[in-house]
Amino acid sequence: METFDHLMAGLAAALTLQNLAFALAGCIFGTLVGVLPGVGPSAGTAILIPITFSLDPVGAIIMLSAIYYGAMYGGTITSVLLNVPGEAASVITCIEGYQMARQGRGGAALGIAAIGSFIGGTIAVLALVVVAAPLAALALKFGPPEFFALMLFGLCLVTGLAGRSLIAGVLMTVGGLLISLIGIDPTRGVPRFTWGMPELFDGLGFIPVVMGLFGIGEILSTAEKPYREIVRTNLREILPSKEEWKASMGAIWRGTGIGFFLGLIPGVGSIIPTFMSYILEKRISKHPEKFGTGLIEGVAGPETANNAYANAAMVPLLTLGIPSSPTIAVLMGAFIVNGLTPGPFLFTEKPILVWTIIASFFIGNVILLILNLPLVGLWAKILEIPYQYICVGTVLFCIIGAYSINSSVFDIWVMLGFGIVGYLLRKLDFPLAPAVLGLILGPPLEKSLRTSLEMSAGDFSIFLHRPITVGLLILSVVVLVVSALNLAPSQLREASDD
Amino acid sequence: MKRGWIVASIAFLALFCVTVWESTSYALLDELGPGPGFFPLWLAVIGAILSALLILETARGPADPPDTALVPDREAMFRVLSVIVMMGVGAALLEWLGWRLTALIVTGALLPALGARSPIAIGLFVLAASFGVFHIFYYLLKVPLPIGTFGI
Amino acid sequence: MFKTILGAAAALTLGVSSAFAQTFPDRSINMMVAFPAGGSTDIGARIVSSIAEKLIGQPIVVVNKGGAGGQVGWTDLVRQKPDGYNIGFVNLPATNTAYLDPKRQAIFNEKSFTPIINQVLDPGVVWVAASSPYKSLKDIVDAAKAKPGTVRAATTGILSDDHLAILMLEEAAPGVKFRIVHLLGGAAQMKETLGGNVDVSFDNVGSIVKQVKGGQVRALAVMDTERSKFLPDVPTTKEAGFPTVISSSTRGIAGPKGMKPEVVAKLADVFEKAMKDPEHQKKMDEVGLAVKIMKGDEYKKYFEDTHLKAKKYVEWAQKRSEK
Repeated sequence: METFDHLMAGLAAALTLQNLAFALAGCIFGTLVGVLPGVGPSAGTAILIPITFSLDPVGAIIMLSAIYYGAMYGGTITSVLLNVPGEAASVITCIEGYQMARQGRGGAALGIAAIGSFIGGTIAVLALVVVAAPLAALALKFGPPEFFALMLFGLCLVTGLAGRSLIAGVLMTVGGLLISLIGIDPTRGVPRFTWGMPELFDGLGFIPVVMGLFGIGEILSTAEKPYREIVRTNLREILPSKEEWKASMGAIWRGTGIGFFLGLIPGVGSIIPTFMSYILEKRISKHPEKFGTGLIEGVAGPETANNAYANAAMVPLLTLGIPSSPTIAVLMGAFIVNGLTPGPFLFTEKPILVWTIIASFFIGNVILLILNLPLVGLWAKILEIPYQYICVGTVLFCIIGAYSINSSVFDIWVMLGFGIVGYLLRKLDFPLAPAVLGLILGPPLEKSLRTSLEMSAGDFSIFLHRPITVGLLILSVVVLVVSALNLAPSQLREASDD
Repeated sequence: MKRGWIVASIAFLALFCVTVWESTSYALLDELGPGPGFFPLWLAVIGAILSALLILETARGPADPPDTALVPDREAMFRVLSVIVMMGVGAALLEWLGWRLTALIVTGALLPALGARSPIAIGLFVLAASFGVFHIFYYLLKVPLPIGTFGI
Repeated sequence: MFKTILGAAAALTLGVSSAFAQTFPDRSINMMVAFPAGGSTDIGARIVSSIAEKLIGQPIVVVNKGGAGGQVGWTDLVRQKPDGYNIGFVNLPATNTAYLDPKRQAIFNEKSFTPIINQVLDPGVVWVAASSPYKSLKDIVDAAKAKPGTVRAATTGILSDDHLAILMLEEAAPGVKFRIVHLLGGAAQMKETLGGNVDVSFDNVGSIVKQVKGGQVRALAVMDTERSKFLPDVPTTKEAGFPTVISSSTRGIAGPKGMKPEVVAKLADVFEKAMKDPEHQKKMDEVGLAVKIMKGDEYKKYFEDTHLKAKKYVEWAQKRSEK
C-alpha cells in the first residue's frame, strides 16, 4: 500500500551515508549531554539546536531526534551508575537500576535498558506507521475530565509501591502531593505556600527535588558508609543472564504497550508511563517484595515504556502539531525553524520527507543500541573510581544541573534541602517512590479537576457524562477494592499475632 | 530504627499541622467548587491523621534488633556534614565568585575531607572541575556558568 | 564664575559619558530571557543576539532565567546595574500583569525599566477548530449573547494577553459573557480546542499559523488594526465591527531603569540593524512571528500605553465573577 512505499522510500533516503553520519553524531552528542546529571534531554536538545542550523532540514531533524534519544539514554546511564536521575523519568531507573549496579549487575541493567528501549521504540515506530492518523484523532478525546480520572487511577496504584508499611507509603504520597501544590494555584492565580518568593511561584521544581532526594541523598549515604559491597563488574557479565532475560521479556512487551498508548495522548508526559510500567510489574510479579533490591524487570519495563512513549509522542507532534512534553516542544521549535511545520499538511505535502524522518527515528534507535552495548562495560568501569572522586564529581554535576535549569542558585538550595531529607528518609528506610508519585500527579490532578469544573461552570456531573472518564473512575475503584482485599488477610494475621 | 520512625512521624505530624493552619488562609471554596485552599487543607488533615497512626503502629510494633544504631561514628558524621556544608558554601559563593573559584574551593576542601590523599590526583581533579568544566560548558556547550565579581 | 563651573562640569560629564558610550561595550553583554530555553522568546532572542554580537563586536550571552511566568527573570533584571551590560527581554503585557497582580508581590513596576527596542509584535487572534459551526467573530458573539456564560473560551493562562482580550470583547459587546477556561500554554489550548472541550480559543497568530495552513483550525479575527501577513484572509476585529478589541503580545529588549541615553541609543541602533537583517526576517517568518521594530520614544510610549490598558483589564478581571 502507499504508506509502505513511502516508508521504503523514506528508509532509502535515511540510509544515505550523510544522514547516517548525522544520526550517529546526534546519538553521541545526545548521550554525552544526557550523562551530565540534571542537564536533561530538553536542555540538552535546546543547547545543541544551533549546531543544526548549518545543516539541511532533513539532516538537522535527523540529528536532533538522535540527540533527543541519546540524551534520554544518557539519563539512564547516570541513574544506574550514580543514582542521580538525569531527567524526570529516570527516577524509576534509579530505584532498581542503581541497586543492580551495587550488586555488580550494572552492565546488565544498562544492557537491558538499551535493548528494551530499542524494542519498545521500534515497535512504537512500526505501530506509528500503521495507526498514526486515526489513533491521533481518538486521543484528542482525552480532555480534562479524562485526565483527572487517569491521574486518580495512577494514584490508586500507589498501594503497589508501599513496601513495608502501607501507612508510611500513603503518608509519603500525601507528602508528595502537598509539596507539589506549592506555587501559584493554576485556576485562580493565588500563590500558595510561597511566602512572597517568585522563585516558588512555579513550585519547587521537579528536577531539583528529585535530584536532591535521590542523587544528593545517595551521595550523603555513600559519604557516611563508603566501603559497601561494590562488586567488581565482570566484562563478561555485561549482557543479562538467561534468567534475567526471561524475567525481562514480559516486562518489555508490557512496557511497550503502556508507553505506546500513553504516548498517543498529547500531554501525558514521560513520567507517567514509566511509573505505570513499574507499578504494573510489581503488581503482577511473583515476588513483589523484592522490588527495590535490584530486579531487572524493574528496569526493563519502565525503560521500554519510556522509549516507546518518546517515539509514540511523535504522533501527536507530526499529525497535529501538539508537543507532549517540553522536550518535544523544543524539538518542534527546531523542526519549525528548519522549515518543517508539523501537521497533517506535512504528511500530504511532503510525504517522502516525513517518512524519511520516521525512518530515521528507527535508525536512531538502532544506532543507539549498537553504540551503547559495547560502551556499557566502559560506563560500568566508572564505578571503580575511588569513592571520594565519584562523590565530589557527582556533587559538582548536580550543582551544575540544578543551577542551569533557570540560572538559579535557589534551585541548588532546594536540591540540598531535599538531599538532606532524602538521606534521613533513606536511613530510616522510608519508601521514597510514593512521594515521587505524589509529586508528579499532584498538579495535573488538581488542575484537570478544576479545569473540568471551569468547562462545566461548576457542574460535577461532567465526570459522569463522559464514557472514558467513567471507565477510568470505575477502574480506580476496582483497584482500591482489590488492594484492600489483598491487605485484609495480612492485617488479620497481624492482629492475631498479638 | 523504631525510635527514628517515631521521631520522624512526630516531625511529619507537626509539619502537617502547620500546613493545615496555613491552608486556612486560602479560600476553601470558590464559585466553581474547590478553591485554592481545599486540597492543601484536606491533604494535610489526612497526613496528620496518618502520622498519628504511624506513631501508634510503630510504637506497638516489634522492638529493634540490637545492631541497628542510627547515629554512625564521628568520622562518618564528619564526612556527611562536610558534604552538606561544602554544598551550602558552593551555593552561597557561586554567583559572587563565579564557577571557577567556587569549584576550586569546594573540591579542594571536600576531597581531603572525604579522605582523598594523593596531592597530584586532587590537584588534577580540582583543575579539571573548575577550569576544565567551565571551559566545556561555557564555550563548547554554551551553558553559561556564572562569572564572578573578580571577572573569573 | 558659577556659570563657568557649571558649564565646565556639564561639558566634563557629557565628555565622560560620550567617551563611555564610545568605548561601550568593552566586554560581553548578558541578555536575559525570562523563559526556559527552547521557547519562542528564547529562539527569537538567540537569533537576534547571534547577529547583533557580530555587529557590536562583543559576545552577547543569552541567559535563561525562567520561572513564575517571567517574573523571576524580570525581578533579576531590574536589580542589575544600568550600565548596559545587563539587558533582557520583556514581554508586554505579561510583564505588566506580573506587577499589576497584587497577589504576586512583584518588586518592579512600569517605571523600573529602560525600554530599548521592540522585536516582535504577535497580534491576538480568535480561532476555532475547523469542525466548529462558528464561521465568524459575529457568530461567536451572537452565541455568547444568546446564552451568556455557556460558550467556553480558552486562554493560555490567567491574566495572559488572551484573558484580557476576552474581557475586551465582552466590553465591546454588552450582554456577552463567556465561560472562561484557563489552560496552561498553547499546546494544551490546541489540544482541547481540537478535541472539542472548548468552543473558542484566544491566542496569538504565531501559535496557530501552522495549524491554520494545515486546515485544522479556522482563524476568525485578528486583533490588530491591519491584517496579519501570515493570515491575509482573516479579517481584523476592526473590520468585524469591534475596533476597540486590539490586543497583542510583544517581545522587546529593555534594561533596568537609569541607563544612559547614549548607551540605549547605541544598543537600539545595533539591534535594529540585526533585526533588519534578512536572515533574522527569514527565521522569524518561519516561526510565524511578525517583526515590528519600535525604538526610542515610540517604544517608550507603547510601554506606557500597554501599562494603562493592562491595568484597566486586570482590575476588571479581579472583580469578574464566573457564573
